[in-house]
Amino acid sequence: MILLVSELNAGKLRPSAREIVTAARALSAIGDEIHALLLGPGAAAAATEMAGYVSHVHFCEDAGYEPFKADVWTAAVAKTAADLGAKAVILSASRSGLSYAPRVAIRLGAGLLEDVIEVESDGATVGAKRFTYLSRVTESIRSLGLPVVISVKVNILSPADPAAGAGQVATIALPIDEAANRVEVLSQAKASTGGVSLDEASIVVTGGRGMGGSEGFTKLIEPLAGCVGAAVGATRAVVDAGWRPYSDQVGQTGKSVAPNVYIAIGVSGAVQHLSGMNRSKTIVAINKDKDAPIFKVADYGVVGDLNDVVPELIKLLKL
Amino acid sequence: MKICTVLKQVPDAEASIRTSGSGVDLAGVTFVMDGMDEYGVEEAIRLREAGHTAEIFTLALGPRRFEEAIRTSLAIGCDRAIHIETDEALDVITQARVLADAVKKEGADLVFVGGKEADWDSSALGPALAEALGWTHLDWTTKFVLTGTTIEATHDTDAGNETVKLSLPAVITTQQGLNEPRYPTLPNIMKAKRKELRKATLADYAAHAPLTKIASEAIQVKARLNKILSGEGPETAKQLITLLRDEAKVI
Amino acid sequence: MNFDLSPEQKEMQRMARQFAAERIIPNAAKWDREESYPAEFVKEAADLGLLNITIPEEYGGLGLGLVEEVLIGEELGYACMGFDTIILASDLAIVPIKIAGNDEQKKRFFPLLHTGLGAFCLSEADNGSDAGALKTRAEFAGDDVVLNGTKMWITNGGVAALYVVFARMETEHKHTGTVAIVVPADVPGISHNKLHGKMGQRCSYTAEMIFENVRVPRANILGEPGDGFKIAMKTLDRTRITVAAGSVGVARRALEESVKYAKTRHAFNQPIANFQAIQFKLADIKMGLDTSRLQTLYAAWLVDNNRSHGQASAIAKCRASDVAFAAAGEAIQIHGGYGYMNDFPVEKLLRDVKLNQIYEGTNEIQRVVIARSLLK
Repeated sequence: MILLVSELNAGKLRPSAREIVTAARALSAIGDEIHALLLGPGAAAAATEMAGYVSHVHFCEDAGYEPFKADVWTAAVAKTAADLGAKAVILSASRSGLSYAPRVAIRLGAGLLEDVIEVESDGATVGAKRFTYLSRVTESIRSLGLPVVISVKVNILSPADPAAGAGQVATIALPIDEAANRVEVLSQAKASTGGVSLDEASIVVTGGRGMGGSEGFTKLIEPLAGCVGAAVGATRAVVDAGWRPYSDQVGQTGKSVAPNVYIAIGVSGAVQHLSGMNRSKTIVAINKDKDAPIFKVADYGVVGDLNDVVPELIKLLKL
Repeated sequence: MKICTVLKQVPDAEASIRTSGSGVDLAGVTFVMDGMDEYGVEEAIRLREAGHTAEIFTLALGPRRFEEAIRTSLAIGCDRAIHIETDEALDVITQARVLADAVKKEGADLVFVGGKEADWDSSALGPALAEALGWTHLDWTTKFVLTGTTIEATHDTDAGNETVKLSLPAVITTQQGLNEPRYPTLPNIMKAKRKELRKATLADYAAHAPLTKIASEAIQVKARLNKILSGEGPETAKQLITLLRDEAKVI
Repeated sequence: MNFDLSPEQKEMQRMARQFAAERIIPNAAKWDREESYPAEFVKEAADLGLLNITIPEEYGGLGLGLVEEVLIGEELGYACMGFDTIILASDLAIVPIKIAGNDEQKKRFFPLLHTGLGAFCLSEADNGSDAGALKTRAEFAGDDVVLNGTKMWITNGGVAALYVVFARMETEHKHTGTVAIVVPADVPGISHNKLHGKMGQRCSYTAEMIFENVRVPRANILGEPGDGFKIAMKTLDRTRITVAAGSVGVARRALEESVKYAKTRHAFNQPIANFQAIQFKLADIKMGLDTSRLQTLYAAWLVDNNRSHGQASAIAKCRASDVAFAAAGEAIQIHGGYGYMNDFPVEKLLRDVKLNQIYEGTNEIQRVVIARSLLK
């Protein structure tokens, strides 16, 4: 059987929950029985929704699973996987997922297939594809046996359709081991992406050094993002200059995104930045330097002054 | 206190990556210390400068060429280094187990690991190493303060960032924003010559069977339309919107 | 034979390259445009230990050799030849003290160069290559010596902590009558005029130095009175190797910029790198680059191993600067119209490296040196 761990966001299933169902179904050689585990407040309600996609849903509403703590999640997921005899544990490669998947793998003695974009199985092993070398290379990787722990890159696989019949839903007792609860959260701050999470946004508008300062973001990037319901991203140069918080950063040292549309404004396109966005389905670049490397990966490029082009875009989109 | 900085040597980000046969061909590529690891080395040195009495050692697992990155860490200020030399491309989980054994043998209270490797694009080593040691970890750390054995740190999360408190021992994965890594100075480069760089092999540590293997590698190509518009701002803006609406059908 | 650098040498090269890429390259065009001396960045380089690396360890220096200096010089020259000149011209003050100074003088003067720049005052308005025709006078007055005269085109003149000044003594024969005197910058009577309007290397501080009744102890004379010309020539025999190193850096920059441009610039529906006319230029630059680097390292190695090096250093300086000048010219040609504009870095390479064919002995003088050593 395959165990999925579906993430919640404020008590609701994240869109990635259906993407990992797609991954699980691609591994039918391992088994058709797909279980999902839901942890934290809201798990009960989300479990009913999840039951439309998998054969069994286990949920635990314990408030200790929110906010996410790697130690605590590792213990719950590894125990559930071991108890159920899971041959594969699949979760989404969000920041949280990437943080505890390796720990679960160590605990289960499992191989780790990290941040994958494709999976298949012959029943005895699992093969996967993932990006390496700053997303410039696609690597084919294979487990040498089972079980495996798989983290699936967000926004790459298409979300699964509901299954024919509804699965069983049951609570699962996973009390938090206080000895394992070693990190105390003192405070949390939300990213300034206008309510749209960078990882899951279908449109991302990113500003680079060419914005000239933080006011370039408030006057141009944020209004443009607002027009199309996009998340705001930034390059390394921008966050280094303090114009935007680090959490807005897209690239090798920031987030890796693959939205439907990625609009890069005043972004030159350094390798480190491209590695975080070059899987976007459509890439738009606006830059005054016609030789900027960003144009090489762009589907649509505008060579021109962003101070002329962007206000015009905002005006047209508001019509 | 003992601080361990784990590091890798990776192709320079500017280096162009080629493949030959079914794998990446790194011949002729310039290698550097992984930029993410530099933050850990810098943070360890800063802890000592801030008054913590600490021995700082570098730990690296990889081929002979890693020596250069290791020497850089010694020139920046680490006291000694252990290089577990191997040409095997061990999977990250197996690497973490070997390194955990080494950390236990050397004894350490705090381990810094780069947040994401620039060659394997993996952020698993830190968490896996912590698990293999039975320690807790904190990833994507942008602010780190150590008082006695208590850490107060800020790190990035899915939703934004959070400030947390934890105790040693711990594995901290580092990233940009944590600090501004320094250059090694010429005098320190010369001093590093006399520092210990101990060579070890996998046979010196507990054996672990590999769990995954790389089957093949290929350059990622995605064909782009490369439709470039130039002209007056208002006109190109109008053309762009039309293309996005009618051709790409994305807005 | 062994062409490997030591781990420390590789580390220095790596650090210098990183410093050059992150601190010099992003600012070099601005310094050039504004003709501004980058004091803050010279201090950064000094803090990293990149300045005056050949001061012996027993006098508080790093005791490194010319090979190390060549490795660093190539990286600095790659980023900005003018910046390289600031750092390496300081050697022109170290070498005379090293080769002719006594222990007391080394103890007294080297500490001034731990973080400060040195300058070498030989050229005058009416003489450059003909170093024997000096007009600056040194007169003895009791235990002191008094300097009067004006020096021209002095690199680091006005920003240095210490000057090595060459002057003629009264009534003596031209070359044998010269004296080398160390003059700390704070001695009264020294003034300077910054020279403006240089074609290239515009960030390096070049001045006319005026010495007016500058009085220093006789104990500041290097070697014996009359040794001055010999000291100057011996110094240049070594330091011109650093000019070669900077030239190698410039040639490498010209090549890398050209390769990058040739691969991306399209003409007739293909990258211009596909054309043999371009390929041959690249191949020629590469041949010049590699051979001049080898000669430069060889000459430096001879110095570090106390071998005779006059001819080898002349070959290195002349060859590397000629190669670099040609490489910069071809880089502009490959860049076409863009190469002629200062939006691209290649026109600056040409302006900068022209000086490498002139200073520390013109390339004509180098040829004379080489020919003389063949015919003697």
